[in-house]
Amino acid sequence: MSTQFHQPETIPEALELLTQHGSDAKVIAGGTAVVLMIQQKLIAPPVLVSLAHIPELERIQTVGGEIRLGALARIRDVAQSSLIRDRLPMLAQACGEVGNIRVRNQATIGGNMAEADYASDPPAALLALDASVTVAGPDGTRSVPLSEFFLGFYTTALDEAEIITEIVIPTPPDGARMTYHKFKSRSSEDRPCVGVAALAVMDGETCSELRIAIGAASEVPVRLPTAEAMARGRVLDDSLIGEIADHAATKIDPLDDLRGSAWYRTQMIRVHVQRALLELRNEFSTL
Amino acid sequence: MTENKTLTLTINGETHAVQMTGVRTLLSVLRDDLGLVGAREGCGIGMCGACTVLVDGRAISSCLMFAQQAEGSQITTIEGLPEGDHLHPIQQAYLDHAAFQCSYCTPGFILSTVALLQEHPDANADAAREYLAGNLCRCGSYGNILQAVLASKTVKS
Repeated sequence: MSTQFHQPETIPEALELLTQHGSDAKVIAGGTAVVLMIQQKLIAPPVLVSLAHIPELERIQTVGGEIRLGALARIRDVAQSSLIRDRLPMLAQACGEVGNIRVRNQATIGGNMAEADYASDPPAALLALDASVTVAGPDGTRSVPLSEFFLGFYTTALDEAEIITEIVIPTPPDGARMTYHKFKSRSSEDRPCVGVAALAVMDGETCSELRIAIGAASEVPVRLPTAEAMARGRVLDDSLIGEIADHAATKIDPLDDLRGSAWYRTQMIRVHVQRALLELRNEFSTL
Repeated sequence: MTENKTLTLTINGETHAVQMTGVRTLLSVLRDDLGLVGAREGCGIGMCGACTVLVDGRAISSCLMFAQQAEGSQITTIEGLPEGDHLHPIQQAYLDHAAFQCSYCTPGFILSTVALLQEHPDANADAAREYLAGNLCRCGSYGNILQAVLASKTVKS
């Protein structure tokens, strides 16, 4: 089979190619996922549309009150960006934990979203940050909240002729503390068995806002609104943290796979939610 | 549809024209079309680092990149490091410290070391361990590799 490889230089050109080739076409960004899937003969797209030559897609910037990641920003550039490390440290942490340095040099944040591999770090962090995905298609652009973007294993709300152009993250609340915990059950460069992204706003010892997202434990990353509500307006003491962690562990219907059984994942969710919340309470001075 | 296309790659400062149909990995083109066999296939899934090359100075797995993606970029392979008969100082440091046994992983390790020291000329042992964590040596020569990396810091050109 002979795959055609197109390298459009503008977004409209890319969309035109996707519309023209329909289901024959596959978008390629960094390529770490698409090349692997083609090499392993899991997919055989007759047409590849590369986004790598559309320079405007690489920017990491603040616009108004939002932080915007161009879809083609490489995972390593997100991890090392001083803007991201300063404003969204848990996203820098999560991106810094992806694969190995070569994968981070090549893979892109938009590609990571579009692939929708459940065993990945950035999605949970972005979900806890209330991120949304900006999507361009033949009928214009639309914004999809991340909570509605992931539909299942390797499945997203993207239509065939659409591409992700940006990931948009609202500025977190003043003084927000945040952390990402990656639990790996096998080797140091493994994908996560469980990822916990947590954000808290503290008013003295009282928690005024808590967000928790769990990644890699189920088909799609999930937020835990009932666990988050347990903290609101209460002193985040050890017993409350324990209760929240216990509750969080009951709210996920976990996967069974090589990285951990469902039972084991439930235990690890509890442990790592607890550790993440203890870290948020104990290890942050006022920013 | 078979369409024969000419791909232009810049490797170690030289321009190469490659005839190809469809898509193929950079690793395959380097080895099978251009005879640059320093990049090796280990795992074929981007985990082991044996196929590491530098694309615009960044270490990547050439088994996870199509050759087309590297068009227009500066590609560096292990063959591009020596100057004439003189080994690159990092290559020499690996020799001096016997930082290999079978040497299958060595080109990848050396190119990752080049990238490491370009980014962090003063990298300490911890930084080197972290940066090179994605390169695997199944002979287990890690101790000597680390010594070679740290020695390279002082001799790096």
